Amino acid sequence: MPLGTLDRSPPAFFKQGPSAVSKLLLFSALSVLLMVADVRFGVTQPLRSVLSVFLYPVQWLAMRPQVLAESSSDYFETRDAAQAAERVLRQQLLVQAKRSGQVEQLALENRQLRELLGLRDRLDSSGFVAEVLYDAADPYTRKLIIDKGLTQGVKASAPVMDEFGILGQVTQVLPLVSEVTLVTDREHSIPVLNTRTGARGVAYGESGGAPLLELRFMATNADIEVGDLLSTSGVDGIYPPGVPVAKVTKVERRAETAFARILCEPLGHVQGARHVMVLTPLNEHTPPRPQIEKPQPMANAKGGRR
Amino acid sequence: MIMPRGHQLLLPANPLFVAFTLVMALLINMLVNISLVGNAAWMPDFLALVLVFWCVHQPRIVGIGIAFFLGVATDVHQSALLGQHALSYTALGFLAAVIERRLLWFTVPSQAMQVLPLFLAAHAMELVVRMMSGALFPGWTIFLAPVLEAVLWPVMSVILLAPQRRAPDPDATRPL
Repeated sequence: MPLGTLDRSPPAFFKQGPSAVSKLLLFSALSVLLMVADVRFGVTQPLRSVLSVFLYPVQWLAMRPQVLAESSSDYFETRDAAQAAERVLRQQLLVQAKRSGQVEQLALENRQLRELLGLRDRLDSSGFVAEVLYDAADPYTRKLIIDKGLTQGVKASAPVMDEFGILGQVTQVLPLVSEVTLVTDREHSIPVLNTRTGARGVAYGESGGAPLLELRFMATNADIEVGDLLSTSGVDGIYPPGVPVAKVTKVERRAETAFARILCEPLGHVQGARHVMVLTPLNEHTPPRPQIEKPQPMANAKGGRR
Repeated sequence: MIMPRGHQLLLPANPLFVAFTLVMALLINMLVNISLVGNAAWMPDFLALVLVFWCVHQPRIVGIGIAFFLGVATDVHQSALLGQHALSYTALGFLAAVIERRLLWFTVPSQAMQVLPLFLAAHAMELVVRMMSGALFPGWTIFLAPVLEAVLWPVMSVILLAPQRRAPDPDATRPL
């Protein structure tokens, strides 16, 4: 019974329910269980999906002011026709950006006469356009929420790009929205190719908090310079090859370590993208791995001993 | 009834209003995230604030159970580690239940000082949990959040108690 209110119902003297300590123990145990299930076993996807559907009306409501502000600023200069035209153009731009990004890689390949080696036909992955709803509020990770989900056919691990370069990868697919982990997230890594030298490497999200990438495990004497462009190499079987990823901004060579510290700035607008393109992961086009035949036991091969 | 001197006798709280303010706090959290700042570590958590407020003022309506479920909802919205906010809100609910009988005897600015350790503990708990699961350190500005929450406590006291401060309607309890 709170102090000083005109509450006319008498406080419950005997039916107090479980004590606060027991409730604390129960619910903290439940939370810890949820966390372990999420981190260790990754089995909370159905729970997240169900809750996100219930939460969507509130989220929808919370998105209205932004949507209203955007539409009212457009109102005076453009009307429906102009907006529709812009949307179509944006989608076309995205499709073209992916193609033009591949030109640099193609030039390199031409120079190295790779096609003479009987390279397989280049893989061409398809995709669709989605809109970024908001940045995930979790300050410990770098994630975006996009407006396409399971119902629109988004698949987990699908690469996501904008017109400037790779943004990240879909890591969680919910029924109506999906979650994209950005290339600058600490947990994210992407195989890249230096378009100037052809050297391959793996870029990780920088752990310092700035929206940068770090090209790790490059030898101190590796040929890499500030301004080099990094594009996807395609060896991972997820990202299409030749899409721009990042630009080298800082190379730090120290005598005491075997590896140089190379920082890169992502080319995709990881902080201000509005429209993005969700690509189909490449591994859906590649043929499945051949079954390795199990060596037959000698006894069977020879008919066995009786 | 024993009560602090000079306090106004409040009307009973409407459970619907309590539920409404909790949902509104969740909505404001989302709104701030979506429209204003993206992800900012220093942003005060309005839902935690409103939750502690009602746990202190209306412990018979809002308790640890509701805190837990709101925490899970926040986790799903933020796409954070599932259970992170659930744990910290559960702890907030418990700590609020511990100080609930003492807190309302103080003036409102003193109450703000008393709830500051609660919010600090909740944010520290989230930070420790995330660091243990190997996440990015969000920067020292995260310790600004509990301070801002404590600063907002007097504001919340005015807003959330406003419906209870209306003059009582004599027709509602007239014996005839």
